[in-house]
Amino acid sequence: MADHLLEVDDLKMHFHTRDGVVKAVDGVSYTLDRGETLGVVGESGSGKSVTALTLMGLIPMPPGRVEGGDVRFKGRSLITMKDEELRAIRGNEISMIFQDPMTSLNPVYRIGRQIAEPVRVHKGASKAEARARAIELLHLVGIPHPEKRVDDYPHQFSGGMRQRAMIAMALACDPDILIADEPTTALDVTIQAQILELMQEVQARTGAAIIMITHDLGVIADIADRVLVMYAGKPVEYGTLDEVFGAPQHPYTWGLMDSVPRAGMTEKSELCPINGQPPSLIDVPSGCSFHPRCPYARERCLTEVPALRNIQGEHKSACHFSGEPWFARGCSLDVQSEVV
Amino acid sequence: MTDDQKATEVSDRAIIEELVPVHPHGPAGDEDERRKESRGARTLYGDAWYRLSRNKLALGALAWLMLLILATLTADLWVPQNFGAPNHIDSSTIMATRLQGPSMTHPLGTDDLGRDMFARVIYGARISLTVGALAVLVSVLIGLLLGALSGFYAGWLDAVIMRIADVFLAFPYILFAILLLSVLPESSRTGIAPVVLTIGVLGWPSIARVFRSSILSVKENDYVDAGRALGASDGRLIVRHILPNAVAPILVYATMSIGGAILTEAALSFLGLGIIPDPVSAPNAVSWGRMISDGQSYLTSNPGIVLWPGLAILTTVLAFTLLGDGVRDALDVKLKD
Amino acid sequence: MGRYILRRFAQFIPVFFGVTLLLFFITTVLPGDPVALKAGEKQLPPAVYAALRHSYGLDKPWYIQYVNYLGALSPVHYTPKAGLQFTGPDLGESISTGRPVTQMFSETYPYTAELAFTAIGLEIIFGIGIGIIAAVKQYTIWDTLATLGSSILVALPVFWLGLMLQYLFGILMKEWTGGSFYLPISGSGGPGSPFDPWVYLVLPGITLASVSTAYAARIMRSQLLEVAGQDYVRTARAKGLRERSVLWGHEMKNALIPVVTFIGLDLGAMLSGAILTETVFNWPGVGLMIYQAIGRRDYPVVVGGVTLVLVVVLVVNLLVDISYAFLDPRIRLGANAEG
Repeated sequence: MADHLLEVDDLKMHFHTRDGVVKAVDGVSYTLDRGETLGVVGESGSGKSVTALTLMGLIPMPPGRVEGGDVRFKGRSLITMKDEELRAIRGNEISMIFQDPMTSLNPVYRIGRQIAEPVRVHKGASKAEARARAIELLHLVGIPHPEKRVDDYPHQFSGGMRQRAMIAMALACDPDILIADEPTTALDVTIQAQILELMQEVQARTGAAIIMITHDLGVIADIADRVLVMYAGKPVEYGTLDEVFGAPQHPYTWGLMDSVPRAGMTEKSELCPINGQPPSLIDVPSGCSFHPRCPYARERCLTEVPALRNIQGEHKSACHFSGEPWFARGCSLDVQSEVV
Repeated sequence: MTDDQKATEVSDRAIIEELVPVHPHGPAGDEDERRKESRGARTLYGDAWYRLSRNKLALGALAWLMLLILATLTADLWVPQNFGAPNHIDSSTIMATRLQGPSMTHPLGTDDLGRDMFARVIYGARISLTVGALAVLVSVLIGLLLGALSGFYAGWLDAVIMRIADVFLAFPYILFAILLLSVLPESSRTGIAPVVLTIGVLGWPSIARVFRSSILSVKENDYVDAGRALGASDGRLIVRHILPNAVAPILVYATMSIGGAILTEAALSFLGLGIIPDPVSAPNAVSWGRMISDGQSYLTSNPGIVLWPGLAILTTVLAFTLLGDGVRDALDVKLKD
Repeated sequence: MGRYILRRFAQFIPVFFGVTLLLFFITTVLPGDPVALKAGEKQLPPAVYAALRHSYGLDKPWYIQYVNYLGALSPVHYTPKAGLQFTGPDLGESISTGRPVTQMFSETYPYTAELAFTAIGLEIIFGIGIGIIAAVKQYTIWDTLATLGSSILVALPVFWLGLMLQYLFGILMKEWTGGSFYLPISGSGGPGSPFDPWVYLVLPGITLASVSTAYAARIMRSQLLEVAGQDYVRTARAKGLRERSVLWGHEMKNALIPVVTFIGLDLGAMLSGAILTETVFNWPGVGLMIYQAIGRRDYPVVVGGVTLVLVVVLVVNLLVDISYAFLDPRIRLGANAEG
């Protein structure tokens, strides 16, 4: 396919602070098509949220600055676009759901008014039309008695209902892309599943593409078609869900998977958390930025930055050793002594 | 989802927010962190002093107050000799010396009774600073006592004390002071004590609230429980553990309150309810507020009589406010009101 | 909301009794001998003195006296003969004029209220306006000026500011313009006066509003800056709202709630705090009445005036507290108002 809905091409978003340059996003590329779901995984500070906020134009500049690359939406660059044009896309063709539904709704306005606001702004709907749309949307996201609840204030909604309302708000203008930044993190487990189900339903109905940003591999496995794993502002692994989950190639991805308890795990020793902390984005380690925490690190990793290269099909990994026959996943703690 | 994970996810967004400069002049920021590293660990007050010393407004305020204090302490040694005693009226020469403009002998001119304005402004600082400091001291003492009772013992005592504080705060400050001072018989109004006590008594609720909330937050800390478990008495806990932690907010609040106390004293004096000096023990007592009140009638012809004491009040009160702001930023204290 | 209002009333009751009890002690117990005080300079014969003490009920225990005191404060009186009657509080008569304090109060109070509402108007316009400018233009010279200006305003003695304004706009300006343009510095106008009545409110209004305006601007600024960092503001931006709509639509209402509360409580303070301004500008309100009474040692007028003013303040503050509920839906519809 030549024309993707969204093309992120070697995007670099840096923050210029008194302490130095924070390379929050440093060369990320991916594409997204209609009806597709991309899962973006990584620890906090990996740049996954900043990537999304960049294409929404929600990064304050300064201190932020796009240092390179481009984001094209339907062929138009979102980076060079005028503020006013980007504003017309925001909340209309691309919309976003945030992590904390408790604080993301304005406490002093009625739910209905807030949900209908994008329709008012982008489609010039009248008050009555907007209200009708709000009721319709509340119904769509499964709020009972929407014609009554539309006049409620956020504090009268539970957490799960508020996130549903946020989704309704994001869907108000039938967006082409729905960005969800940790939409389930602040919710109870049972509610999490309901919200994910709702998002899939909505996608089936509207054909919207979804970018799901999360640290939770379970969410990705549930919902994503393709997966992007990020570390320290860079992509480290990219591929279809089957490729990445079936045959992960990067030691960081292995680490992520091994640090989550799974059903069927019998011994505690099978749980291998990644050692150490994510690096400071001001002072990124030389070579492969994951090398200080990588049990497989060798001389080469300290000096040479690994490229994101094709392994098989669409599957890409940014590790020097991916694809080599000896290079296999094992519990990091055991492997450490053998390899180094 | 563990709390830990939640916290790290939240910090993801915080990264962006942290990058937006919050402190325009950069106090208490990374510079201090670096400095700490280079010089090793420092005490809380050492760091606070360092931060304060970088705040030009606060330093200027401190310098001005020091100068004022020095001038009032040494006033008896140089003011009457060079400019005349502040309350001295020479009826034989009064017609020639009254209402003069600024000159070499009288830098700020003379008032309607031929008294030197400069001498009066300097001696006025003595009353204002004394009343301000003593009144706040009274507030702090009452406030600490009631705040400690309220915060430490909670329950009904807390409820009663906080209700009383509400009552005091519901009173408009100045009216309360007027009422208290106007019911005192004239004979017991001499000296600075009535005014100091009145202003001091009115100021306790704020101090009590600040101290109470400090206690409540410190009380949650483990070392207080540990102290309890080791059998420390309540009094010992308050003095040893809670008071040191509550010093910073109270220091900030007290510094700012001195300015307010000086303003109240001036207002009371302006209304004729201020200090009635004892002519024997305090022959040089002058109040800025009283000077303004007396000078009103000469506003058209000699505005200086009103201007100078007013400027003295303004600069002194402003200095206490700016110093208080500086101390607050230096100690990183957050005051709710 | 009903429960919220009930709770406010419940909190008001101990404050009301506390304030009146305190007033009672200050005015009746603290002076030692209110009869001697009320008599002023005169020496009373012992028999008259005892009779006066009895007629004031001073020979009864303090709690009976307090109940009597509350009875005198009550605007409604009951006698078996006449039934319930609205007579107004009984606060005695002025020593110098012999007129009832309540009557003097009701004559002067409209002037105080007029001045207070003028000042509140100025405070709303300039306090909120300057606060918004300072917040929107944060880190610019405007912000610095507003912050420094408010520190100076707060440190100004109100009465001195009034005198300086008189000098600038009443005296200097009259000289400079040769008498063609200046502002009145005293009184409230009336028949035959050279200005329209409202002109007399300008300088006292500014003087009375000065300190409060500075505080209102500070609160407005800090509230707007705090609200600007909230998640729902980011949500508003993500919807594609214009910056203008984000500020006026989403930030302003949240930021205004505490500011409006402050200004409301301030109205209470201004309805009482005008004593300095009224004195400087010779404005015929209760403040001036109390000030003049202090000078004449007209004790019943001082105490009665202050008492009535306090009652007004308490009631205004209660109303402000209650109206807070109408502003904030979290309290108005308070399912979990405490949360």
